[in-house]
Amino acid sequence: MVLTLTLKGRSIVPGRVRGTALVSTKPISFLGGVDANTGTIIERDHDLYGKSIKNVILCFPHGRGSTVGSFVLYRLAKSGLAPKAIINSIADPVVVVGAIIANIPMVDKIDIEMIANGNVIEVDGGEGIVRVFRGEQACI
Amino acid sequence: MHLTREEEKIYDGELGWAYQVSMRILVKLGDLYGADNLIPIESAHISGVSYKTIGDATIDFLEALAGSDVRASVTATTNPAGIDYENAIFTSLSGDIIEKQKRIINLYAKMGIKTSLTCTPYYIKAPRCGSHLSWAESSAVVYANSIIGAWTNREGGPSALASALIGKTPNYGMHKPENRRATALVKVEAELKDESDYGALGIYLGKILKDKIPLIQGLPSNEEGCLKQMGAAMATSGMVSMFHGKRNSIRQVREMETINIEDRDLREAREGLSISPEKPDLIFFGCPHCSLNELKQIAEAIKGKKVRNDVKLWVCTSRFIRNKAKEYVDVIESSGGQVICDTCAVVTWLRDLNVKTLMTNSAKTAYYAPSLNGVKVVFSPIIECINVACQR
Repeated sequence: MVLTLTLKGRSIVPGRVRGTALVSTKPISFLGGVDANTGTIIERDHDLYGKSIKNVILCFPHGRGSTVGSFVLYRLAKSGLAPKAIINSIADPVVVVGAIIANIPMVDKIDIEMIANGNVIEVDGGEGIVRVFRGEQACI
Repeated sequence: MHLTREEEKIYDGELGWAYQVSMRILVKLGDLYGADNLIPIESAHISGVSYKTIGDATIDFLEALAGSDVRASVTATTNPAGIDYENAIFTSLSGDIIEKQKRIINLYAKMGIKTSLTCTPYYIKAPRCGSHLSWAESSAVVYANSIIGAWTNREGGPSALASALIGKTPNYGMHKPENRRATALVKVEAELKDESDYGALGIYLGKILKDKIPLIQGLPSNEEGCLKQMGAAMATSGMVSMFHGKRNSIRQVREMETINIEDRDLREAREGLSISPEKPDLIFFGCPHCSLNELKQIAEAIKGKKVRNDVKLWVCTSRFIRNKAKEYVDVIESSGGQVICDTCAVVTWLRDLNVKTLMTNSAKTAYYAPSLNGVKVVFSPIIECINVACQR
């Protein structure tokens, strides 16, 4: 496993995890956009349509839409369907509050274009650091 | 962020876990977004009331909070639930759903929060212009900032709840005058004919604006209901918290990114919202909840007509407005429609109520319903919806 890139962002929720990146170029509304019973993206026209966000490191530009999204993140976490960590370009308060109460490590102010789908990445939520690796699958 | 001695005590847990967790949410937000301090709010409005949207896990969270003997310290109101307990159509839902929804409503009530169960709390009591609020419900946030001139960030459900309990919000974002100026200029060249065109425009703008504040020029009307539809839609497809409809200074306008809206942009947005060629089995108005004036419009349009037997027509509003609108409610209900309170099509169990295709004038509902409710959608203005409902 080779460390290819270290990105410095802003710490939002502390916690260190390693996992596989699932990257979207589109904003996500957790209410309506994600099926809270399965953890699958159900918004039509979304570039992650049909993908599961369970246990991935979910990278997307920012949240949008319903303010109930915070509770949906909490609900996903309690059912074991939440992402391992969240990386945003600009965090919006709805996703931030959801990550706080669900205790999902989170970093923002990251250029998510530097991360590719399937990259193994390590998130240090406390330091606001994202490390991108190549060459080996993550142990989930 | 600077905390007073009192606030620090709460942060350290001297008033118990529930206040502590609330204070921690507010301080975290304040630290992240560069607030210097907490400021008192006039009111809080809390989203996350429908059992359909929040599920069992969140009931546990609310139970933990309510169980630790907390009370709202400012006026606090709540978003719609999934059921109108005074309307018989909801009795067909499962006993488990009916019981759990009631439990959620009771938990908010136990915390001293008003169970107003509406997304339009401003029709019950409008906040003062210039007052600071902590409101969730994205459509109400845009309405408060843009139409009322009150000041609120777009809060998540839990942070609005935290603010309700603490009575304060971190002083950042929309609470600072310098952040309320327009940052993009929108020139509307497309023809806007009715409220649904305003909604379609909102969806289009939300997608491209991100968190920018648009100054919108060229709106043919500043009718409140149209602006409400536009704002609600913007907050659905984007994270917009505010728009300006009036002129800013010329100098400022010159420096801004300009977005031109032409007829084909609007057509594209409308086509993306209307995805069903099928006949609807539910016609729905009231997203966001209807005002007195909207009930009047619907009553005038439906007067003397009859809703067909094979279609339902719902008009959703707050109980407060329904009680004030008796004369319009009578007209709508004697035509075969239902004026439903405390809930709406988006946050109830449409499929369990045998709805497969929904027709609505609300762009927000048209955007959410296919994924959130699993129904097909036809998107049309009030007049056309009523024509379809009453077609012989």
